[in-house]
Amino acid sequence: MDINEILVIAMFLTFIALLFTGIPVAWVLGGTGVLFAGIGYLADLHLDTITGLDYTTLGLVVNRLWKIMDNWILVALPMFIFMGIMLDKSGVAERLMQSMQELFGRVRGGLAVTVTAIGIILAASTGIIGASVVLLAVMSLSTMTKQGYSMPLALGTIASAGTLGILIPPSIMLVIMADQLGLSVGDLFMGAVMPGLMLGAMYIIYILITGWLKPGAAPAPEDAKPVTPAAFLNVMKAVLPTLLLIFVVLGSIFAGIATPTEASGVGAFGATLLAMYNRKFSFRVLKEVMSGTMNTTAYIFAIFIGATCFALVLRELGGDELIESFLTGLPFGPYGIIFFILGVIFLLGFFLDWIEITLIILPLLAPVISALGLDIDGYGVVDNPELVWFVMLVAMALQTSFLTPPVGFALFYLKGVCPPDVKLTDIYKGVIPFILLQLLALLVLIFLPQLVLWLPANAYG
Amino acid sequence: GDKLLLKTPVAFGTHLPALGSPIKWVSEQLQVMSDGDIKMKIYEPGKLVSPQEILDAVSSGKVNSGYSTAGYWQGKLPAAALFSAVPFGPEAGEYMAWMYYGNGLNLYQEMYDNGGYNVKVIPCAIISPETSGWFSKPIEKPEDLQGLNMRFFGLGASVMEKLGVGTVQMPGGEIFGALEKGAIDATEFSQPAIDQRLGLHKIVKYNYFPGWHQQATVFELLVNKDTWKEMSESKQAIVENTCKASMTNAIAEGEAMQFPVMEQAKQNGVEIRYWNQTMLDTFKTKWDEVVEEKTAADPFFKKVWDDMSTFRQGYDLWEANAFLPRVQKD
Amino acid sequence: MTEQEKLPPVPLADGIDRLINRIGLGVAWVYVLLVLVIILQVVLRKGFAHGLIALEELQWHLYAVGVMFGLSYAQVTNSHVRVDLFYTRFSTTTKRVIEVLGILLLVMPFLVITFLHSLDFVADSWRINEHSSAPSGLPWRWLIKSSIPLTLALLGLAMISRLIRELTLLARGE
Ligand code: NA
Ligand code: NA
Repeated sequence: MDINEILVIAMFLTFIALLFTGIPVAWVLGGTGVLFAGIGYLADLHLDTITGLDYTTLGLVVNRLWKIMDNWILVALPMFIFMGIMLDKSGVAERLMQSMQELFGRVRGGLAVTVTAIGIILAASTGIIGASVVLLAVMSLSTMTKQGYSMPLALGTIASAGTLGILIPPSIMLVIMADQLGLSVGDLFMGAVMPGLMLGAMYIIYILITGWLKPGAAPAPEDAKPVTPAAFLNVMKAVLPTLLLIFVVLGSIFAGIATPTEASGVGAFGATLLAMYNRKFSFRVLKEVMSGTMNTTAYIFAIFIGATCFALVLRELGGDELIESFLTGLPFGPYGIIFFILGVIFLLGFFLDWIEITLIILPLLAPVISALGLDIDGYGVVDNPELVWFVMLVAMALQTSFLTPPVGFALFYLKGVCPPDVKLTDIYKGVIPFILLQLLALLVLIFLPQLVLWLPANAYG
Repeated sequence: GDKLLLKTPVAFGTHLPALGSPIKWVSEQLQVMSDGDIKMKIYEPGKLVSPQEILDAVSSGKVNSGYSTAGYWQGKLPAAALFSAVPFGPEAGEYMAWMYYGNGLNLYQEMYDNGGYNVKVIPCAIISPETSGWFSKPIEKPEDLQGLNMRFFGLGASVMEKLGVGTVQMPGGEIFGALEKGAIDATEFSQPAIDQRLGLHKIVKYNYFPGWHQQATVFELLVNKDTWKEMSESKQAIVENTCKASMTNAIAEGEAMQFPVMEQAKQNGVEIRYWNQTMLDTFKTKWDEVVEEKTAADPFFKKVWDDMSTFRQGYDLWEANAFLPRVQKD
Repeated sequence: MTEQEKLPPVPLADGIDRLINRIGLGVAWVYVLLVLVIILQVVLRKGFAHGLIALEELQWHLYAVGVMFGLSYAQVTNSHVRVDLFYTRFSTTTKRVIEVLGILLLVMPFLVITFLHSLDFVADSWRINEHSSAPSGLPWRWLIKSSIPLTLALLGLAMISRLIRELTLLARGE
């Protein structure tokens, strides 16, 4: 192994090791970058490498940081976050929960199905994972427990439904992926619709089958009332405003009327109107939303900034070439390489979360995929169809990273709001079937790329 | 001799013919001609630093060289666009005549020196006319432009602004997405063979010629001045002459590859249009206004403009007599 | 979405944190402004077929200010994401030592180097009175660029405050 390779591998290992100290991810990334710039500099002096790293070169971090600020695609990010937090405060989700429960009242597993359905609606309205998981847990966990649901099923349903938002558009993850790879946000949003809905449908089918095979695990409530027209009307009243908002935001992007940035701004505005309509809006709420937007945006961008330093130094050490030559040198054939890459991402997802993987690993993989020479039919309309498809595979694989222990953010959020007698191992046990479902969905996408590409290819007239 | 590594971020992907391919050719030739003493490592756009940051990065020594076109710096140096492409300006032959045998190159360097940028500039590619834009509807009269948002490069942008167009500058990679999503309604980018790579024809069908705003475009290699001074005379000559050879190479490549692509575009339903005289006259009138404003606003812009104009007035005598008329469009 | 664990009081650090907190909450209004600017742009573009480049640029200016000032705000609210797999099981003293070492060895070198380079970056922009590269774009680009050193300095201040807090508490044996 030559020195550059050793340095690249050492840099990755140092990063992972430092992560587990609990120092914030952003600073671990930035600090490791600076540390290895120093090591690269010394290696140039004493070990005959030519990384060219030194104090001056590190100044590129500022130019790169500026390009993060000067970026009209990423403006959508805080706006979607604003919209999500505002919806969370607007009380619409609670109303949804109460009324939809009546609709599914007599079906075994009906409550769990309701949770998943609301998870899908929340996902399509914003997809702030933390907010969705917490919201679903607070609204449904105690009810499910009272109805006699098995604890793992209840927990697994909440965690997985709450995580759907990262895949179902609008999704801040897809916005960032589009930015990183120079793809169209619209193509990615549209590409994700069918995979996202498919995954949601798979959850629901799994829950219904479980209810049917093991009535004890997902019972129907004893006092369930028959569905009345009045109950149905109630559900409609609760669902309609939210659906309208989703329709306006996503519809305007898909129809090409608005850019994702404009749609995100309109969505934030619409969520505010919805909160007013529900009489939940106040100056205090606005301040909470602003503060929440500030915090969430900032911690994502802090990781951006740290990662830009890390990626710069990694590139100068020769990381790009190393990974590219390693992957293209694998004796597996194109699909074998894709399986291998997805396997690695799945494993990385145990420890890292989507931001680091998207910012550091994904850009390294794009040229590899383009070089595979896969001939995926995008009907001539989708630019880079094989890359769009691949990104969706990665997105699906990253979806699992929220649920896989030990580092799974959905698990942490859920644990945070569970009663103290619920153990982390209960949660782990609960999410296993849902992780398997996600892997199954991933497999379907690998062999049916049209599930991803059909919509973006046909959406433009 | 001493080995030299030129780390060179580029403003255009090297997969783009004529825009990005020349610098790749330069890097290969440098290696061969210097017996491996000069190595140029190319970084695709944004890998190390984004196109708009190249000047800053080279000047501050964060990288020791970079490949771009001066028009990108017009927010920093108003005169820069004159060294990139000039509306109703010289064609390639005349442009090179002014640069190499007039005062062009000296003024070019002077601009960076006066601006406090620590760079040595070397023209390193030149390409023939660009198309003047892709629109979703025919543009027959000046009012048809009113209210459009358009990606437009360099000085031509100021002309379009005068016609009620909102202009933005964005790198090639961002254009398709912006157009597709309606952030912009129209765009110009480069020559037919390059525009085709961006897939613009999938969204907008009216492709207008001639490129009044860019009859010829010069690309530059920027080298950090400290690096340049440390280079031996032989290395400097190798770099300068490789770039000079690249000028020939780029224009030959650019001239050769347009017509097959235009033929293909026609078959894909693209409407190839030539501006009517009213439109061309309008562009020219507005350009004259822009020149008046820019020369008044920036003394150095005036200095370069005056020099170039004097040269061109002299050249007119030759040009009017030396060349056959262009083939009439049928 | 992040729990803001309450840190024990330390007078000087509390003062700094309060200041940064107030600045952050003040700047957070840019997001409300951003919503309004986007709506205005949509109305102009769709309603009157006349979008403004300056408004488009204003959008990312506002976003950039929000993001950059958010860095120090998220630091004093302790919102930056940690991998807390082992961290939650560490003793309080271990956590404090890690925090101190992390700030001194990872954060500060990164911050100081970026801060110093950003001064040159802004100075260059100021020297040439940099303007947007779009003819009708916003002027005074150095102003928005100045937010880089300013907010990095604030972040540095927030880190120093944290350092004071942890060291004081370590010394007190809390
Ligand atoms: Na979502
Ligand atoms: Na995980």
